[in-house]
Amino acid sequence: MPTDYDVIVVGAGHAGVEAAHAAARVGCTVGLCTLSAETVAQMPCNPAIGGTAKGHLVREIDALGGVMGEAIDATAIQFKLLNRSRGPAVWSPRAQADKQRYRDWMRIKLEAEPNINWIIGRAGSVVVDGGRVSGVELESGSRFSCRTLVVTAGTFLNGLMHIGPEQVKGGRAGEQASHQLGESLKKLGLVWGRLKTGTPPRLDRGSIDFSKFEEELGDCPPVPFSFLTGAIERHQVCCHHLHTTDDVHKLVRANKKQSPLYNGQIKGIGPRYCPSLEDKVMRFPDRERHHLFLEPEGLDVREIYVSGCSMSLPREIQQEIIGAFPGLEDAVMLRPGYAVEYDFIQPTELGPTLEAHKVPGLFLAGQINGTSGYEEAAAQGLVAGINAGRRALGLEQWVLGRSEAYLGVLVDDLTTQGCLEPYRMFTSRAEHRLLLRIDNADLRLTARGREIGLVSDERWERFEARRGRFERNVVRLKNATVPEQGHAVEAKKVLRRPGETLEGLVQRGLVEVETADDSASVELSSVETLVKYEGYLRRQKAAVSRSLQDERRRIPDGFPYGKVPGLSREIVVRLSEVEPETLGQAGRVPGVTPAAVAVLGAYVRRWGGVVKGGVAT
Amino acid sequence: MFRPDDTIVAVATPQGKGSLGIVRISGPEALTVAQGLLDHAEQLRPRYATLARIIDHLQAPTPSGIDQVIATFFPRPRSYTGEDVVELSSHGSPVLLERIVGLALLKGARLAEPGEFTLRAFMNGRLDLVQAEAVADLVNAVTPLQARVAFDQLEGTMTGLIARLDGKLFDLIARLEASLDFPEEGYHFIKNREVVQSVEELLKQVRELLSGAASGRLIREGCQIVILGTPNVGKSTLFNYLVGSDRAIVTSEAGTTRDLITEVIDLDGLAVTLVDTAGIRTAEGCVEAEGVSRARHAIGVAAAVIVVLDQSRVLGPEDWAVLEETATMPRVLVLNKADCSPSWSSDSLVGGERVVSLSALTGNGVCMLRETLREILVGVNLLRDTPRVANIRHINLLERAASALESAKGAANEAAGEEFILADLDRARAALEELTGKRTSDDVLQHIFERFCIGK
Repeated sequence: MPTDYDVIVVGAGHAGVEAAHAAARVGCTVGLCTLSAETVAQMPCNPAIGGTAKGHLVREIDALGGVMGEAIDATAIQFKLLNRSRGPAVWSPRAQADKQRYRDWMRIKLEAEPNINWIIGRAGSVVVDGGRVSGVELESGSRFSCRTLVVTAGTFLNGLMHIGPEQVKGGRAGEQASHQLGESLKKLGLVWGRLKTGTPPRLDRGSIDFSKFEEELGDCPPVPFSFLTGAIERHQVCCHHLHTTDDVHKLVRANKKQSPLYNGQIKGIGPRYCPSLEDKVMRFPDRERHHLFLEPEGLDVREIYVSGCSMSLPREIQQEIIGAFPGLEDAVMLRPGYAVEYDFIQPTELGPTLEAHKVPGLFLAGQINGTSGYEEAAAQGLVAGINAGRRALGLEQWVLGRSEAYLGVLVDDLTTQGCLEPYRMFTSRAEHRLLLRIDNADLRLTARGREIGLVSDERWERFEARRGRFERNVVRLKNATVPEQGHAVEAKKVLRRPGETLEGLVQRGLVEVETADDSASVELSSVETLVKYEGYLRRQKAAVSRSLQDERRRIPDGFPYGKVPGLSREIVVRLSEVEPETLGQAGRVPGVTPAAVAVLGAYVRRWGGVVKGGVAT
Repeated sequence: MFRPDDTIVAVATPQGKGSLGIVRISGPEALTVAQGLLDHAEQLRPRYATLARIIDHLQAPTPSGIDQVIATFFPRPRSYTGEDVVELSSHGSPVLLERIVGLALLKGARLAEPGEFTLRAFMNGRLDLVQAEAVADLVNAVTPLQARVAFDQLEGTMTGLIARLDGKLFDLIARLEASLDFPEEGYHFIKNREVVQSVEELLKQVRELLSGAASGRLIREGCQIVILGTPNVGKSTLFNYLVGSDRAIVTSEAGTTRDLITEVIDLDGLAVTLVDTAGIRTAEGCVEAEGVSRARHAIGVAAAVIVVLDQSRVLGPEDWAVLEETATMPRVLVLNKADCSPSWSSDSLVGGERVVSLSALTGNGVCMLRETLREILVGVNLLRDTPRVANIRHINLLERAASALESAKGAANEAAGEEFILADLDRARAALEELTGKRTSDDVLQHIFERFCIGK
């Protein structure tokens, strides 16, 4: 086994997988260090990929040449496009995954990549030489050297699982925590904190009376995640709706003191957006019931995931609560829910490539940076993998701006604002949301992915054909007229009427468009949006170019904030921690006022900060 | 550009002689600088008026006192600028004040840029942008009404109104965002009807603010009124009467006034720049011709014109030409020389004109003229309520907010996707935040603070 790599990736979860794949595609030799090749791309919590804003991230990962989109398209057992009743900017795909098949697909994908080698073992410490990363040492003592290192340790750093009073050290159910690695990162001077997350109990499929629950069906035909996926013709399973009852609420309240969340046993901060059952009942006493879902973990496994029902009460109480749901009276709990506390590194320690300010060559991605969700992890993995690869090869950094992609928003939010609670992506975090749609993810990003070697020839050809169709369709639609009461009315005017759709016009034979059969609906939406919402898009583009003025004003490396008169001590401390790359980013650092940005702007100019074309375009 | 952390000094009272003058010092070294000028050995007690002498250390052979002053120390953050401030109140001789500033400069202070004290107050969060602008308006006010409007703004009336609007807008945005980001939960955080209602309510409030904008702007900026007429009809006499002094030279010779003469008068609270012009006729010399051309130019920017006619002599073709030239402008026809016997009657003029008969010589009827002018400028409703919006920057931003809200209302009425309504609401919010300075660029700041004079 080789012991010297361009890039080593520690951890093969969703972040690690994308990082290893991207670094390999960029042209590096990659060592992927994991405890077992069996648990690659494991979904330790919900058996689903996508959802609002998360679905956007997956489309973007795919448009750039990442793997998550293809993996879920190949293995999903139910597809839904969320927010379909709303506008195209907030449509978001979501799919139920078959966890086992997803892992297998990913493993095969990675093994087919000649540049990637497995390093099986538990990473113990980061090896630093002359101030920069030179390798990694396993707990077993073996050493591997690399030019750059990507650490994607998930919830494994000092992970502590809680099931009632039971406390088990571990990163996920059945897997040991990493103590040494966390200590090694802290020794490098990285600021860290502690967060909490949780997962619900799993039930035995055979013990549930599904006739009691309303079915939730998938879309027909499904909208795929990947721009490479053609039409999906596959049997889709259904999920089931379930809701809490007064009895359930009473049980939770009665056992409040047994919940590690409410008796002081858990110190870490949990995600507000994904509250545990205890939180739902305690924090919203007025709500009579809460919506939950029963989701299968795969086609041929027994586990049913109770979505929205994460808890950390003692097992017997969990069983009792489950039994209180009508239809689950006889349900057998295969494993209890649990809460997990873990260490994370404050992402303000990182620059826009996710490289640590203090340790050149060290990149961090995924839940270790305080995020929640597979998609957020994968997105960071991609950015870190690309940049770790490029750094190892001596190439320039590669960064996406906030106006280019949700990926850009995600990384900028993390590295500028830091995390006080697990970070989840929302469409409202993207101020230029109307421009960052799932239908144009490829138009925005595929060329960017091609430039750096991530996009395969097959994807590129497919994309160029699609872009050609798109451009011709736009021209065609802009020039088309529709006969109405003996007059020719401009098609775009007709399309702008409320409720009118391009699909409707095409179906009524009023407008002709070119499509490839397998991706018609999303392709049409790109054309329609451009014409129908022209005014909104134009205004948002104008806002982008205004904001780019500050994004293009670079703050030189090592800029002495302390010497700028008029900045309060607090602001100096915040800015020195974050080390913003541009004036625009500086303005987003919490606590920094417009007045402070004005002062900073004057000094950056005077200090002779050279504008090198800017990072974000 | 701003260098906001050194210690600055400037004379805060107007240029020229006065019984008192104030030198203001602000910055981290304010106290050290001030104490270095004083013969007062102990440290100045915060917020106490301390009697002391200014010592000129450079005076040879022995340093001597140059004036007795009251020194007041305002420690940060409870000072005008939010920094340490010392105010030295001395006798108001320009030479003396200049000397005190000079001594402060030698002790390490820097001469303040225009508006820098207020800029620092803004930077340190003592004032928001709207209030900082109010300081400039208050200082520049020439009528009591202008001062009242500015002071209201400084007191935070406007700031409070904007904050309330912003709060409501934020609440609406939050509910719409929640509906978008949590579709799986099946919650409806807000119904479309409620969205339309909320937006309409906000729009109504912004419009109300804007409804007083025209008169507000008139109060804040004032306007120009031009006196026109053929030579020797008494324009300059009327001008002098309205101004209240013999500002323009009056002779019986036609064509005495060659250049434009301007003076600001208080017309019921409005700052009106009155312009006296050369009599309009086929000029006899090139200087007079230039005067006539300037008069015509002044008409172009005037809010109203006063056309002066001499009722003691029959109107000539040049009078008729002036009447024709100003026919489309808001105007008053003044029939001057009512003290002489009239040789024609106003019946010979077209009906529907505002006509005032007066004697500029005795002042009889001038009251009526003032009344008529005010009516032209602000309408019959006198400025009973103080308008809240007066500044063109505020008006523009509020109009931008109103247009964004209008667009949001349209989108909501068409049941468009929440993200489009939100895009409009975000624009409205950005306009409001730019108003108070929550979002802004340094260009805007610099532009605003350039209006200040040194020491404010």
